[in-house]
Amino acid sequence: MDRRVVITGLGPVSSVGIGAEDFGAALRAGRSGISPIASFDASGFPHFKAGEVHDFDPKALVRSLSPDEWGRTSLFAAAAGRLAVEDSGIDPALLARSRAGSSIGTTSGESQVVEQLTAQWVEDGMPSITPDLVRQAPASRLAVAVNRELGLTGEAMTLSTACSASNYALGYAYDQIATGDADYMVAGGADSVCRWAHAGFFRLGALTEHVCSPFDANRSGILTGEGGAALFLETLESAEQRGAHVYAEVLGYGLNCDANHMVAPDKDSIAECMRRAHRNAGIEASDVDYICAHGTGTPANDAVESKAVLDVFGPTPPPISSIKSMLGHTMGAASGFGAIASALGIDQGFLPPTTNHTTPDPELVGIDPVPNAAREARLDVVQNNGFAFGGNNAITILGRVA
Amino acid sequence: MSTAPDTLAITGWGVLTSTGIGADDFSAAVREGRGGLVDVEGAFDDELPESKACALVGFHARDYVGRKGTAFLDRSTALALVGCHLALADTGLVVDDTNRDRLGIVLGTTAGSFKSTSDYSRETLVQDKPYLVNPVLFPNTVMNCAAGQAAIWHKLKGVNATVAGGQLAGLNALRYTRNAVRRGYVDGALVGAVEEFSPHTAWGTHNVHERIGAHVPLGEGSAVFVAENPDVARSAGRAVDAEVLSVEIGSSPTGDTADGLAGCVGRALERAGVHVDDVWAVATGETGDDRLDRLESLGVALSLGTGPRRVRVKELTGECHAASGALQVSALLAHHRGDKALDGRVGVVTSVSADGAVGAAVIRGYARA
Repeated sequence: MDRRVVITGLGPVSSVGIGAEDFGAALRAGRSGISPIASFDASGFPHFKAGEVHDFDPKALVRSLSPDEWGRTSLFAAAAGRLAVEDSGIDPALLARSRAGSSIGTTSGESQVVEQLTAQWVEDGMPSITPDLVRQAPASRLAVAVNRELGLTGEAMTLSTACSASNYALGYAYDQIATGDADYMVAGGADSVCRWAHAGFFRLGALTEHVCSPFDANRSGILTGEGGAALFLETLESAEQRGAHVYAEVLGYGLNCDANHMVAPDKDSIAECMRRAHRNAGIEASDVDYICAHGTGTPANDAVESKAVLDVFGPTPPPISSIKSMLGHTMGAASGFGAIASALGIDQGFLPPTTNHTTPDPELVGIDPVPNAAREARLDVVQNNGFAFGGNNAITILGRVA
Repeated sequence: MSTAPDTLAITGWGVLTSTGIGADDFSAAVREGRGGLVDVEGAFDDELPESKACALVGFHARDYVGRKGTAFLDRSTALALVGCHLALADTGLVVDDTNRDRLGIVLGTTAGSFKSTSDYSRETLVQDKPYLVNPVLFPNTVMNCAAGQAAIWHKLKGVNATVAGGQLAGLNALRYTRNAVRRGYVDGALVGAVEEFSPHTAWGTHNVHERIGAHVPLGEGSAVFVAENPDVARSAGRAVDAEVLSVEIGSSPTGDTADGLAGCVGRALERAGVHVDDVWAVATGETGDDRLDRLESLGVALSLGTGPRRVRVKELTGECHAASGALQVSALLAHHRGDKALDGRVGVVTSVSADGAVGAAVIRGYARA
């Protein structure tokens, strides 16, 4: 018999707010985290905006790690993990001597470290790359950073399944607690804005210029984003015993693979992933009150995602909104932010909006993207979508504890 | 939700290294102690720090899987594809429309194809305009490229995961797979790990080794196992090469790697229901970093004593980073493959990383009939 798993701490480090309170207020206000790129010289690019976390100060957020020994993405993960644990109110010393670990998702890992190494190569030749930077490059460092920051002795699992990776991580963490292999897990994802991804998405024709407007008839692509998203998980029994605030329960998740194309999404495969998620979570499609969309804002993704939703839910699916309209596409952290938004929506009774919405897409009849303004609503069950390059679909289902 | 056993049945495997290609060839190499060190001077486009490496000089995926569709694959992806191809050729499992939804791929990595990513980043610095990168190569920069391409190649639609674990990647991937199988998400997966050789990783590793005084040649390769729900494999009558009885992973955040590893091995044995006296061999990671290797040896001694035979595959394959753990597992299977006297014996695989991650797997092996 599975143990019930609940979310009792949230740690968003995002371009719209740091910490659960700021982040939740930003979602309700429809605040934008998009600004001109500052982390690299974007002057040669026709498009120069992204969702950077300009006020990320690792020194102010992490206590155990020395920030100069870790890359930006690991620090995002560690800071988010620290915030989630603080938000949960659990005693950090108790956590460190418990069966506790982390699972962290990412697309590009320590991308800024790789770019620094590449700059050394370009400037002074390959022999000049420095060991200190080389040792910061492995993506495994993301989950390790969380464990080191929090003194966790359990496993540190970094899942690099691109833009659905946080959902993989959340699902894996849920399994560890449900089965009794772990008592506490920090789950989420992290990524950093980098030049190569900005260039790659631009050349794919997937990068919009100023605003990301998912589900809009005139949507024209993503904006890259960054940050760290972490959720603190424990058993329902443990949360009740210590009187912790429970945001939501993790009901289950579904994973599958398109096995068809590296970058083009596949409607039938995504629909099948939704059905798997529902089955594993023990719910029916009609139980879902809200879908936190993958919603990248590319013409292809939003059309395919919407059609898969219509296939699974019928002509009147629940509201489906994209927080990428505010954050940009935070890559491996994206479905982690989606999970945090979903948990806050369940806990506080609101639907995050899809901002920048001006023209409904006539092709997407029946889709309610919660345009421009957050909406009050009681949410009992939420579906959080994550899709990725490689056809790596991952969907988590969260619910109100009943 | 369906529940499956907590173990995995390996019904076939494939290795691609300069030491040996395919399970039979690699097994012979391990039994004979045949190393894969070769001359690499002039074999790659850029200058290399060392003239010898355990590299697959002249490797092309097309030599194994045909020319079609291989033009834009990066080296990591090609190694993974061929590793999966070799593993499927070694198993009784046949992938078809009745099972492809229930079979997945789980691959371990350090950071994907570092060369692909760094080359892409380089283009943004050296081209006239920073955006003049090749869009066709963009998917090669994401770490799940190898697993995604392997899924497309073999049409496997089940759980598809990439685990970034560095030295722990092989054990991370096995543990991830064991979870996906026991939870009933899939009936099996191609599970393994990959590391590519490139001038980029050669210089990176060389410069780190110089700093810490390590002397291990760099290697590359992939090792992939067909890991199944034991009930499914048994009911289909498939021969089992090995059972993965347990995989335990931990962290030693305060740097106490030896105790951390010893604890992991102890938990792994307990979960496997195996007594320490019944362990015949331990395949250690041994990165060539004296400090770390001493801690690993101490952890092994604390948990297993000095009885089990030591299997050191890195002496043959070189430092294959993320592929290390999977190659250690392969080395144990290599000993079993041709030796009935070892049937049913239990071996342990250990991995440690400089960052304080520790892991152990307990594996029971059998000879090929």
